[in-house]
Amino acid sequence: MDHEAEFAAYADDNWGTLVRSAVFLGCSLADAEDVAQTTLVKCYQAWARVSAADNRDAYVYRMLINCLRDTHRRQWWRERATERVPDRSVRDETAAVDTTDAVHRALGKLSKVNRDVVVLRYFAHLTEAQTAEVLGVPPGTVKSRLSRALAQLSADRHLADVSEGSGHD
Amino acid sequence: MTDLEDLWDDLPVGPAPTREILRAARAQARPRRSRRRLVRPLSSVAALAAIGGAFVVGTYVAQPPDGSGPTATPPDADRADGAEPAAFHGELVAAESCDALLDHYVERGVELVGPYGWASPYYGWSELTMTRGAFAVRDAAQNVSGAKLAPAPVSQRAESSGTGTNVQERNVDEPDVVKTDGERLFRVDGSTLTTYDVTGPETEQESELDLGDLEDSEILLAGDTVVAIGNDGTRDKQAYGYDAASPMTRVLSIDVSDPAAPEVTETVDFDSSLVTARQHGDTIRLVTAAGLPDLDFVHPGNARKNGLTWKEALRRNEQLVRETTISDWLPTGSVDGGTDERLAECEDVAVPKDDLGLDTMSVVGFDAADPTRWDVTALAADTSIAYASEDHLYLASSAGWGSCIDWCDAVPLGDDSGTTHVFDFELTTTGTSYVGAGEVDGMVQDRWAMDEYAGILRLAVSPTERTGNFNSVVTMRAEGDDLVEVGRLDKLGVNEDIQSVRWFDGVAILVTFRQMDPLYTVDLTDPGSPTLMGELKIPGFSEYLHPVGPRRMIGIGQGPTGDRGGWGAQAGLFKVTDLTHPRRLDTVSYAHGTQARAGTDPRQFTWLPAERTALTVVAKGWRGRTGWVSVLSLDDGTMTNRMVEAEYGVEIDDLRLVPLPDGRVVMVTGDGAEFFDLQ
Repeated sequence: MDHEAEFAAYADDNWGTLVRSAVFLGCSLADAEDVAQTTLVKCYQAWARVSAADNRDAYVYRMLINCLRDTHRRQWWRERATERVPDRSVRDETAAVDTTDAVHRALGKLSKVNRDVVVLRYFAHLTEAQTAEVLGVPPGTVKSRLSRALAQLSADRHLADVSEGSGHD
Repeated sequence: MTDLEDLWDDLPVGPAPTREILRAARAQARPRRSRRRLVRPLSSVAALAAIGGAFVVGTYVAQPPDGSGPTATPPDADRADGAEPAAFHGELVAAESCDALLDHYVERGVELVGPYGWASPYYGWSELTMTRGAFAVRDAAQNVSGAKLAPAPVSQRAESSGTGTNVQERNVDEPDVVKTDGERLFRVDGSTLTTYDVTGPETEQESELDLGDLEDSEILLAGDTVVAIGNDGTRDKQAYGYDAASPMTRVLSIDVSDPAAPEVTETVDFDSSLVTARQHGDTIRLVTAAGLPDLDFVHPGNARKNGLTWKEALRRNEQLVRETTISDWLPTGSVDGGTDERLAECEDVAVPKDDLGLDTMSVVGFDAADPTRWDVTALAADTSIAYASEDHLYLASSAGWGSCIDWCDAVPLGDDSGTTHVFDFELTTTGTSYVGAGEVDGMVQDRWAMDEYAGILRLAVSPTERTGNFNSVVTMRAEGDDLVEVGRLDKLGVNEDIQSVRWFDGVAILVTFRQMDPLYTVDLTDPGSPTLMGELKIPGFSEYLHPVGPRRMIGIGQGPTGDRGGWGAQAGLFKVTDLTHPRRLDTVSYAHGTQARAGTDPRQFTWLPAERTALTVVAKGWRGRTGWVSVLSLDDGTMTNRMVEAEYGVEIDDLRLVPLPDGRVVMVTGDGAEFFDLQ
């Protein structure tokens, strides 16, 4: 079952990054896990195509983004309802919620495309070319958007509040 | 940035649920069928060419498999109302020839295709997943006399359709998983049709019929015929593995004259996705989208193994698109597994002058008793929002999601993103007659944001890059070839999103939301100048509004639950006697973390006028879920609640409370149908 073993290794290695990416892209932790799981299930079903792809990670992240967009369309009313209110209905672990909220507040100032670029390029460690493929934009755009996003984030005073609030003394 | 990096690391992500993933993937494994669009044999092509009348929408009779059926009848044969349907004109131009039409498709296809195949966003999905609580209510007296009474700015009661479904327009029925005629109740669950006798003190199952390969099914009821609409399980091969809508539609005609022994009489397959379906009397209309052809696309491979580069794959895929023939694009239908018949010939396909995306919509009308005789209107555009009033069908392009404002801004989907294009068709017996087209800057979210009354089209318009940062109510009327704007009211909900709209003859009620829930009442008695009557600000918001008469309205949505500062589902009782001062009289707050299902699917709300009681489904949980029926009893100024636990998991979405003419209610769950105790 080479196919399965290969996929299992891929899933184990990339689960954490996929979930965190989904959170950084706007989901609650539980939703992120659902989306990552759905993406990996589809990934397994299309494994022949996925593993043959030169840019396998780009392929998978593209699936993640499509899956997120699809989830957002179906549940956008729900997202709107919770995006301004802490979503405590899902987890009782306040720590997870606080961290997620902090992330969303911090990244909320960025435009969607800039946020996508930062998450994929900076946090998920995709290459410039991979990020360009996932988002369907030229690599030059990735570069310029990334620098703009990073500049915005470092200038953001809010992050200073966040770091004070997250347990750092 | 290190703060964000810390947050990244701080996220408590557990180990990968790899075993679960593999199990789920195996459970979903299904043999993929690749559909090839068949070209119709030459003899029938010649027969249809003999019809002539290049600009007229005709009636096509599908050939049964043994080829012994009649050839297509001349287009005038079915015009019971006498009038010749208008040709395409103005904004819509009938294609000159198959070559010209093919050029239209290929030109856009080459732009759209990418190195992995079609780069288009999710298309052809059911509108049911994005419903808003907007309904139109007609004054009953108006229908009887035929004359339009002068509208008054008052709220009017909304009721379920004759078959027990909570619908948008009176007299326009919509498919659902349950239908009743008061004596029999029919329920479809995937490929099983169950019939119940609901005349006695207990419900009695009369029969269970296996419908074969049928999924995502819903039904319509016309006399002794149940029409089941779904698909055969095929999924789009090109989608990136996620659950796209099926690229085909299957319609079954089921004779239920003997409910103990129902029988499938015909099976009709269309190679287009279902957008929506409506029923006017005995006429059923499907709005379908053909989507993009299933080509053998390549994709970039591993450069070290002599795979294709990104650019090479793109070039190859573009070439594949250039090599398509017209048969790859034109939608077809087949009866009982017979030959594929084109739904429309090239010269009958209307092409809009503006670039409205790459797709072909077909409105397929037929009498419920004979789904093999179709009246087709075909449009080469992506107009996936369909709204049907009693006399009109409107198709609108999606200016918002369809243009990928957020997620795929690199995909060219037509030049007019941010503007909604609307096409107006008058309904004839089973066909349509094209009236005209118009456009409005902004986004019409879905069919709930549209309403037609006395020939005036009313739209609730959300912001896009072409508008200001507010919502508007716009009125339009057909004049010549065009739908022209007659009046508008701007600045509704500045910086807010429309959550629900309620249309009446003379008034509209709109709910927007950002932090607070402003509810706006708009006077529509003079279409030339819609005016703001009143405004109400409350915490929380209503996603679905149900008027119970001229004085009271129920709003179902979300709000603060009071305890622990969380949010949950919420129901509000509003006084709308004086629309300049709408007030909220009472609120029912459900536990935090709950969702009011009626906000997503208004068919999960049932109003019982005689009991002054509303039944609505409330669910709690995100992966595992529990569902209740909330029994809301109205007393002059108060609303009391009683919860009845009813269902778990995904079946909560199919939970229905069906009202019978005798005043009783049948609750339909995954387990079957039982009478629901209202006490």
